[in-house]
Amino acid sequence: MDSFSSPSSGSSSQFSTDEFMDQLKTQLAQAYAEEFLETVRGKCFEKCITKPGSSLSGSESSCISRCVERYIEATGIVSRSLFSAPR
Amino acid sequence: MDASSLNSAELQRLISQEKERAMMNEMVAKLTSACWDKCITGTPGSKFSSSESSCLSNCAQRYMDMSIIIMKRFQSMQI
Repeated sequence: MDSFSSPSSGSSSQFSTDEFMDQLKTQLAQAYAEEFLETVRGKCFEKCITKPGSSLSGSESSCISRCVERYIEATGIVSRSLFSAPR
Repeated sequence: MDASSLNSAELQRLISQEKERAMMNEMVAKLTSACWDKCITGTPGSKFSSSESSCLSNCAQRYMDMSIIIMKRFQSMQI
């Protein structure tokens, strides 16, 4: 698929609405995933790697695994709290 | 599959919806980050304690309460 032309040129290679929306949703999802990963990296580095050694210890590795799971769980708790328990 | 131009009202409506969704995701992300810092004080365990999970849930709702107060206060200050 070649790049789209600007609307004002009126040429024949225009996106359909569906194609455009698919691309938009994909890009939004990718941006969101990258931002989420960056946040988790920051939080778990802070919690689990208190004194960086010459390699990751076993306890640091398991801390990181638990941290990722807990952060995902926290996101769910906050999300449900905001959107399914109105006052 | 239609071939509408990029200026249709329908497309604008769909884009608005996605924008709304993205803003909600952003709010959840920001709140989760702030509430994590407030509520998860120790090393992450294999599950949340009940005080940790209620703290997270309360945190989000108190933030929303605070938002409303701030808006009202701000509105009452406008001349």
